[in-house]
Parts: sequence; C-alpha cells; structure tokens
Amino acid sequence: MTTLSFQGIRKTFGPTVALESFDLDVRDGELISLLGPSGCGKTTALRIAAGFEFADTGAVVVGGSDISRLAVHKRNMGMVFQSYSLFPNLTVANNVDFGLRTRKVDKAERRVRVSEALELVQLTALANRYPHQLSGGQQQRVALARALAVRPQVLLLDEPLSALDAKVRLTLRDEIRRIQTELGITTLFVTHDQEEALGISDRIGVMSNGRLEQLGTPTDVYRNPANPFVARFVGSMNELPATVVDHGAVRVGDTVVQTAVTEPAGTAVTLLTRPEDLSLVDAGGLAGTVTSRTFQGATTVIGVRLDVLDRLVAVSMAGTAAGEIAPGDRAAVAIDGSRALCESIAS
Amino acid sequence: MTAATTARRRRWVSRLIPNLVLLVSAVFFIAPLLTLTRYALQNVPTVLLSWDTLFDKWSLKGLTKAFSEPEFWSTLRLSLQLAVGTVLVVLLLLLPTAIWVHLRVPRARAFVEFLTLLPYMIPAIALVAGIVIVKPYARWFLNSDYSLIPFYMVLALSFTYRSIDAGLRAIDLRTLVDASRSLGAGWVATLWRVLIPNLRAAILSVSFLTAAIVIGEYTLASVLLKQTLPTFQIVFVGREPQAGYGLNLLALLVTILLFVVLSLLTRPRKTPRRPFVAITPPADPGLPQ
Repeated sequence: MTTLSFQGIRKTFGPTVALESFDLDVRDGELISLLGPSGCGKTTALRIAAGFEFADTGAVVVGGSDISRLAVHKRNMGMVFQSYSLFPNLTVANNVDFGLRTRKVDKAERRVRVSEALELVQLTALANRYPHQLSGGQQQRVALARALAVRPQVLLLDEPLSALDAKVRLTLRDEIRRIQTELGITTLFVTHDQEEALGISDRIGVMSNGRLEQLGTPTDVYRNPANPFVARFVGSMNELPATVVDHGAVRVGDTVVQTAVTEPAGTAVTLLTRPEDLSLVDAGGLAGTVTSRTFQGATTVIGVRLDVLDRLVAVSMAGTAAGEIAPGDRAAVAIDGSRALCESIAS
Repeated sequence: MTAATTARRRRWVSRLIPNLVLLVSAVFFIAPLLTLTRYALQNVPTVLLSWDTLFDKWSLKGLTKAFSEPEFWSTLRLSLQLAVGTVLVVLLLLLPTAIWVHLRVPRARAFVEFLTLLPYMIPAIALVAGIVIVKPYARWFLNSDYSLIPFYMVLALSFTYRSIDAGLRAIDLRTLVDASRSLGAGWVATLWRVLIPNLRAAILSVSFLTAAIVIGEYTLASVLLKQTLPTFQIVFVGREPQAGYGLNLLALLVTILLFVVLSLLTRPRKTPRRPFVAITPPADPGLPQ
C-alpha cells in the first residue's frame, strides 16, 4: 500500500513563506488535486514530494518511510511536468526507456516495459519518432508513459495539461484519469484550473498563501466551500451586500434570506451564492432587468441587474427552463440561502 | 501608373537591394581569396598575373613544398595536440560552470558574461606581459609546450562561453535536468545522457572555434618561444612566399570544410540509429495534429 503524507511542512524562500503548516494525506490509489492561484504553494508542495526542494521543517512520508532528506534521484516517483520535458535527443521509446536504464533493469525486461507503457498511452506506433515530430498532446502522453514505466510509488503531475489546447486537454485529462484508475497509482495533481480539478480528482485540496484551505471531494468543495476564498475560487459566485437581521437570516435589498449566519444582528455582510442557487420567479424576490442570456448547453446563464442594489447577478437555469427570457425583460430573482456563505464586511 | 504596377515595382526594388548587398559582400570576401589562390598556385611572376595568364602554369608545387619541410609536420603536430588539449580543458571547465550558473545562480549570468568578455577586450600582448612577470616563478611550467593551453583557454573564453550559453538558452535546461533526475539519474548521468547530447551543436562549435583560435594564434607562441604552426608559417612565408601563402590557403580551406562538417553534424536526426520494435505493434494512429 502506498500513501503519500505531508506532515507539518513549512518552506520558505528568503522572506517568502511558500508553505505553512501543510498537512495532507494522499491515500493509496487516490488522485488528489492541489488547486489554487499562482504562488499559493501547490507546486512547491509537489516539488518537495519529488525531492527537488527540501522542507525547512516537517516530513514527507511515502508508504510509511520518511523520505524528507532523500535525494531526488533516489526517490521512486514518476513526474510529468508542465512544459514538454522529453529528451530531444532520444526517440519516444528511448525516452520511456530512460528511467529503466538508469535503474539498470535488464534489456529484455526493459523492452517489455517500454512496450507496455507505450501501449497504455496508445502510442506504440510512434515509438521511433523524435519529440520534435510529435504534437504537444502526444509529447505529454509520452511523458506520462515515461513516468509510469519505472513503476513509481507515487505519480506527480505538475500542471501537465496547461500547455495544451482545450480539446486535447480534455481528452488527455480523461486519459490520465483512466490510466490512473486502471493502475491504481497514488497520484498528486497540481493545477490552477478548477474545471480540471473538479473533473479528475477523488479529492481536491484548495490552497491559498501556502495553506490548505479545504480538502474534500469535488462535490463537497463546490457545494460546501469551507470559507469565502474557496467559494470564490471554485466555481462562480454572486456577491450581494446584506445585513444580518436575526440569527439565521439576512436582509438583501428588501428581501429576507434564510441562511446559516452567526454574526449578530445589524452586522453588514456579503452574501455569497452560486448562480444555481438563484432562480427567476414570477412574484416576490429581488426585482431587476435581464441584461444577458448565455446558452451553455445543459444550462443557460441569465444576467440580471437588480434594481435595489444596482448589482449584476448570474442566474443558472436548466437548458429549457430559461424559456423565452431575453435581455431587457423584467425579472424577479429569488435566493436559496441554504448553501450560501456570509462574510463580514470589515468596518 | 496603376496601384498593381507600383506594388510590383516596390517588391522588385525590395528584393533587389538585399541581393545587391549580398553580391557586393560576396565579391568583397571572394576576390581576395581568388587572388591568393592565383598567387599561391600559379607559377607565374606576380607582375604578369592578369586575365591573359588566367589558365597558365597552375600547380600544387607551392603546397607540396611546405609538406616536405620537416618543421611543418612537427609544428602541425604540436598545434593539433594543443588544439585537442585546449578543447578538452575548455569543455571540462566551462560546461559544468555554465550549467551551474544557469541552474543555481541565474542572476550571476550577466557578471559571468562580462568576465568572459575581458579576454576579448584585453589584447593578447597584455597577457604576454603578465606571463613575463610570472615567468621566473613558473619556469618549470612555462618550459613545457603544453603551457600554452591555459592561455589559449583564456583567449578563447569570450567565444566559447557565448556558444555554450546560447546552447543552454536554446533548451529548457531546468525541466530536462529535473526530468532526468526524477527518473533516477544522478548528476553525471544527467550530464552525459541528457545535457551533452542536447548541447551537441554548442559543444561542436566551441570545439571548432577553440581549435581555429589555437591553430591560428601567433603572439603567445612566439613570445614563449614555442614552435607551433603559426610561428612556422611566419618563418616559411618569409623564406618561401608562394608556398607560404599556399599553406595559408590550405588552412583556410580546411577551416571552411570544418564548418561545413559542423553544420552537417548538428542537423536534427529524423530516424533513429537503432529503431525500437514493439512487442505487439498496433495500428499507426497517424501524424501529429
């Protein structure tokens, strides 16, 4: 059983704190994505796991062994990088073979494992091509095969899709997930793309300023964000100024919304709600004017400028429910506050 | 005049000017070479070299005369030994240094570049003056013919560092090193199996540039009383002008040939030397999109 644990990691670069009290357990065969904005420390965490950086304090434990001080080339990790990292002087097959030769695996075994790895990423026919003869997507698939050929304990993926175009990114994302599930390999995936993280992960760790803000399943992180940062970073959010009127209720414009709020009455807060928690109603709610209508396939997003607050909100509706609504129409917006978050506005 | 005609004329002029510059440059470089060739290989007195005598008395005697000189072979051997030695020392010192600067102290790159420019700014004779000062204390070293190697290394530094630096900038050094190390390779294996092959063009150009500098350097060799090919050439030209210039022409042609070889050697490969045969080859998924 292979697990990867970060235990109380702190890492600084000069005066900058890259990671602070960072704890994370990646279970055996699990794929965890570290999601966060640039500079939040996610890549530093990955590089510490790989051995490219050493933590100032704390430990990295793989399968029960502390590898915190082990040199990078002595760790059994497979890594795929953001930029194309294939060795330009070697063919696809020789790239995949590189780690096996380094580990002095015998020749016959190497041939079998190279074949297996290339078959896994469906690139056997390109074995004798050079990297400059491959597309970006193919290069990343070879990089994945190369990382897997050495049968690593943990697979580390450092934004491997970010250099690819949207269509290839989606295909390769699914392929990575298929291979990861098939092999049952413990995987840490770093990305700043929430859609990618939501689509590929067993669990997502949302990071900010070197700290893990929330760790949970994609549904959990999206539906029940732990704090306003996570709510804003994962998915889109409507932000409305409100005032706490009572325990569990806030006033937004001239409407009272029932929500989990702990601040005392009279506190000014920002109510954070998902577009799908707003709906257009015939009567009641916050009156406004429709400003836009964006068809997104399964859903349609309606933009409404509220009369009272002069705020633009997005209302997500099932594809057909949007009916004939068009920009310029009058509308009333109802808020389901059961999953909303309230953030105090500092005076 | 129509707009189409004007555009066509403009295009013609814009094509003509660069071609003209190219032609003038070619004449500027080739004309002296042709006259040198005639002087070296035609057994016609210089004053009679004209269009009328263009095809008269061509001979390789000038060159063969140089080959029959015993000093030619010994000085050539020493110059080649010095060239190989200097190339090896330059690569052994400069390659790890440049990689280290790029990976570990990228901020020091500008300073290192400035340092490597110094030998270009300071003339070789200044280096010689320095040697004269230290000579009494390092006679044991300076007596050896190979004592020229460190000085040649300094002379070549400006060109060699730039070549390696350009080579390192052309590859994604950090990612390649990280990828190699994450696959279990130590520093030596990374240098040998990843970096050196991918810096092949830079290493070859460093080698050829260094060799060209060593084989053509006169000042240091002369001051340190070493019998290298350039010191022999100077003496030989004084004694046998025609054969001496023939030798110079040959040296030039060999250099040109070396650079042609260099450009051929540094072309990217399209097919592997030893193709990999899969255990169960499936259908070709096609060319990259």
